[in-house]
Amino acid sequence: MSGPRRIMWAYLTTGIAVFGLMVLVGLAMRAEQAHWVSFDPGSFYALMTLHGSGMIVALALCGMGGLWFIMDREQPMNQGLAWAAYGLIVLGVVAVILSVFPGHFGAAWTFLFPLPFVGTTWPSWATGAFLIGVALVMAGWTIFCAQLLGCVLSRYGGLRGAMGWDLVFHHDAFLRSGRPEPPPAAFAALITAVDGLFAATGGMLVGVALIIHWLDPGVAIDPLWAKNLTYLFGHTFANLTIYMAIAFVYVALPRYAQREWHTSQVLAIAWWGTLLFVATAYFHHLYMDFVQPRGLQYIGEVASYLAAFPPAVVTIFGGALLVYRSRLRWTMSSMFLYAGLIGWLIGGVGALIDATVPVNVSLHNTLWVPAHFHTYLLEGVTLFIFGWIFADLEARTGAVSSALTRWIVGLGIFGGGAILLLGWYVAGAASVPRRYAEQPAPGPSIAAWASVGAILLIAGLIACLFEAVRLARTRSAEPAL
Amino acid sequence: MNGASPVLIGFLVAAAAILLVMAAIARTTTEPPETQAAVTSTGYRLRKGWLWALAAAAVVSLAISLPSFPYGKPATLAGQHFPVVASQYSFELPPAVPAGKNVVFDVTSKDVNHGFGIYDPRGHLVAQVQAMPDYVNHLPLRFTVTGHYVVRCLEYCGIAHAAMQGAFEVR
Repeated sequence: MSGPRRIMWAYLTTGIAVFGLMVLVGLAMRAEQAHWVSFDPGSFYALMTLHGSGMIVALALCGMGGLWFIMDREQPMNQGLAWAAYGLIVLGVVAVILSVFPGHFGAAWTFLFPLPFVGTTWPSWATGAFLIGVALVMAGWTIFCAQLLGCVLSRYGGLRGAMGWDLVFHHDAFLRSGRPEPPPAAFAALITAVDGLFAATGGMLVGVALIIHWLDPGVAIDPLWAKNLTYLFGHTFANLTIYMAIAFVYVALPRYAQREWHTSQVLAIAWWGTLLFVATAYFHHLYMDFVQPRGLQYIGEVASYLAAFPPAVVTIFGGALLVYRSRLRWTMSSMFLYAGLIGWLIGGVGALIDATVPVNVSLHNTLWVPAHFHTYLLEGVTLFIFGWIFADLEARTGAVSSALTRWIVGLGIFGGGAILLLGWYVAGAASVPRRYAEQPAPGPSIAAWASVGAILLIAGLIACLFEAVRLARTRSAEPAL
Repeated sequence: MNGASPVLIGFLVAAAAILLVMAAIARTTTEPPETQAAVTSTGYRLRKGWLWALAAAAVVSLAISLPSFPYGKPATLAGQHFPVVASQYSFELPPAVPAGKNVVFDVTSKDVNHGFGIYDPRGHLVAQVQAMPDYVNHLPLRFTVTGHYVVRCLEYCGIAHAAMQGAFEVR
């Protein structure tokens, strides 16, 4: 296995391992809300913290590994730096796990200052371990983003070339010049790098302030300032897991459809929009903070709406167009990649509804929120990652899964997933609050049938894992991806 | 059914429409293939229509929602004020507020961030605002239904978050 491929698989396997564990943690939480099992609220919130932070890092790791590999083929990157970023993130994950087991840290991954320092039931060292763990993850993320940025800038002639400026505004001259146009995946890389560095800056600012406050509680922090930076980091980082993974669709889906995904002027402009709107939509997390400057609330709603245009009009529409009347081979990979586009779109609709301020009044911090973010993370990003993994396995082995296997996996992951997600949407519409260890009615009864969906989903994931292992053990020719 | 149910129904209809369209597109892979150039030419025309449809939907939604933002105009903030103080894990609330009049809840927190979520007598979330330390959020409301209103914390605030409740009467 080549060095870059080894790096990709280190990120992917670590991410998938963390993902698998966090799925089980998620099931435990939903089963507790359904009264199937019982544990104390402290344990519930510690698991909730672990689940949230673990899932985001798991998806990020997978996206990073795949995107690094894709861009390394465009312009080779320093492998030592990629390993350094990986090492820092793994260290960070270990620190976060220690903060929860045995530290019992349970402030949630996007806690709001001064929560982890006031009225807590866990020791101070656990708070420190969590803060340092997140800082390590951010340090690794920053290295990755900087490396990715360097890659696209040097490959495509600086920021102007990487953004496709001449492709858009001097189209004919650009085509005549014979310069390489950045492929669609390069736009995903550029926007991930720029917005990722922006988010990391915000995260580091508040993170360092929190660590200083942990060391010296006399140092004051403004709660509204901390809340803004927490969501700037959390929202943007979580969103970028989608935009990293969309590169997998750009690269792999055309192979199955036997068509090409070109960089058009519209695609370039769409990514410029994504660059701006991903970084400004986070204000919608503060709609219920009435002291927030009014103008930022308007920006929050407008940016949230506009953020939907590039995916809906360009990437998802482009994916559908790529598949329409094509010779697409339906395999595990192409099934996941295409289904992920659907999950992303449906989750986006749920998010847009929640991003409308007068509606947000009755949905904010209800279960509608985990409903929509689980839709595009679980049935979007995760499927893109699975699609990428199977694309590599199928290309390496030349083998494909049987239709029966695809049906079993699909029924579990899409069918079980739909039941699980529906539980959150229904409960959210019924005003059941999120992040409640013990929910008011009708929360527990909904959690019961949602837990059945979670079990079906896990069955599908296990079948998927067995199939991936089977393909991986099939000896074959040269890697084709 | 809940007050937010139209939202749920609207979402489910949209989700079903997306599923149907994407499934129909997937099924075309069993039909005789077309060249990418032919598909792209028609597709780009469709995309233009799709863009304008989405833009129109966004403009309509903004036009409806922007005037309905809940932050309060000077006239509504001139109503009778009631202080609300949240702390781990209880609310200091007025025992009763009047129906049919403009009221303003002045909401703050003694310790961490909390959420001040008001549930009407049918159990529907009708209004909310964050309770933040060092800040006072003013929530203007006009109650039209009398009865017992429950207040729940809607921002995760610690181990007993789910048990943090209060209540007041609207008379």
